[in-house]
Amino acid sequence: MTECIKAEVVLQANNVQLTYDRPILRDINFCIKNIIRPGVEQGQVVSLIGRSGIGKTQLFKILSGLQAPTAGQITIHDNKPVKAGDMGVIFQNYYLFEWRTVYQSLLLAAKKNKKLAGKEKQTIDQYAEQFQLTGHLNLYPQQLSGGQRQRVSIMQQLLKGSDFILLDEPFSGLDVCMLDKAVELLLQVSLSDELKTLIIVSHDIENSVAISDTVYILGNEPGKEGATIKKEIDLIERDLAWQKNIKHEKRFLETIEEIKGCL
Amino acid sequence: MKKLIQPFATINKQTFMIMVAVQVVITLLLWQVLSDGLIPKPGKVASAFINLLGTKLFLDNMLVSLLLTLKAMLYSILITLLFAYLSVLPFFKSVALFIVKCRYLTLTGLIFIFTLLTKDGSELKLSLLVFGIVPFFVTSFLAVIININPQEYELCKTLGYNNWQTLYEVIIVGKADQVFEILRQNFAISWLMITMVEGLSMSEGGIGTLLIKYNKYNDLTNVLALQLAIFMIGLCFDYLLGTLRHWLFPYSKLKTAKAK
Repeated sequence: MTECIKAEVVLQANNVQLTYDRPILRDINFCIKNIIRPGVEQGQVVSLIGRSGIGKTQLFKILSGLQAPTAGQITIHDNKPVKAGDMGVIFQNYYLFEWRTVYQSLLLAAKKNKKLAGKEKQTIDQYAEQFQLTGHLNLYPQQLSGGQRQRVSIMQQLLKGSDFILLDEPFSGLDVCMLDKAVELLLQVSLSDELKTLIIVSHDIENSVAISDTVYILGNEPGKEGATIKKEIDLIERDLAWQKNIKHEKRFLETIEEIKGCL
Repeated sequence: MKKLIQPFATINKQTFMIMVAVQVVITLLLWQVLSDGLIPKPGKVASAFINLLGTKLFLDNMLVSLLLTLKAMLYSILITLLFAYLSVLPFFKSVALFIVKCRYLTLTGLIFIFTLLTKDGSELKLSLLVFGIVPFFVTSFLAVIININPQEYELCKTLGYNNWQTLYEVIIVGKADQVFEILRQNFAISWLMITMVEGLSMSEGGIGTLLIKYNKYNDLTNVLALQLAIFMIGLCFDYLLGTLRHWLFPYSKLKTAKAK
């Protein structure tokens, strides 16, 4: 098993509940810890997996601070309740301001990051090079392909300086070639900072598990209304985290079957 | 050919142009054949139109009307923007909604009130025109605000914007191109009203005044020639505002991805 230490709690969900005319989410409890690997600077990658219509998007919105839960709360660092703007959020369709060029959008985000004061332009150039978007900075979102929009969205949220990046269905609608690129991109993001935490909300079990260190399964329990975290799978313990080409390993496939069985 | 009468069929630009040309020719032929002694034939109207364009009378009157329209459009858009932007504040929402409902008020019934409130004919025409245009402008702009994609607000929130910054980014900056589109779409309304309000105070002239005079003497040839001129100028403004919008806001004309 890869040597690592799970240090302080960086995010915690305490008894989160969401009810409209019926319970949507109930008793959501989980915590994400900062994982330290000696000699490696890598953030956490956590997946929240559940079938379509289970309430993933609602949980995504609660985690991002865009929606208040009916009860309970999400706290980050030092027990601070999460609010809109604390999290970097990548929407499913990689929404960007259509009236801003890529550069203008990135600059707006960079100006929100006090750590980048005075060096916003250099940082944007660095990121653009890293994400292969140097030649696209003066284009409008309508002129970008889906993959390019995804990269701009991620860059925008990274420039904003949040420690958390929440991704809603990052693999949906991507073809096979783009899927591999998206997986690589997310790994690249997680490697950008030790404290960076990626939370992937998805129904794509295989791709989510392949890049995660922890998986939470969202599902319904018999006789109870509303979805909850049914199971937590520590992929580090199973020696499935941080490994390339893990998708063909037998134990990976067994884990996938186990998750499918829980859904 | 079959495509021309098929629902949702797409035709190329050249075919479209040919089709329009044929339709125009058919219309002109029907006009030529069906017009009797009272309705002037197209050739006569065309000739009067050319003559009219060269007269000082037409140019002076057209200039008066254009200046009044542009002035009214400017005031109207300023009032519209003010109330439309303020409509996101609950206190002003009711005012904006009331302005929208003012579309159902007729100008004719308010002429006397406006005459009392204004000091001369010029002011009367301008205020009536502004009063007539603003409800339509506000209606169009509120529709733009109501139909804003919620993700635009959510993106602002995720970037840590407060409500005022969101208002600036999403509505003021983000919908600036729509202001031109509203101007373009509603120019027709102001152009339509100008002939009516100019009839109220004829001392300053204008195409409305000219039209009333031609009508009074049953000069149908010149009435139609003037209508044609009004129509052409309207189309020019429509094109001009559309072009200006695309020039000022290049993203408004982007539809296809250039980068792949």
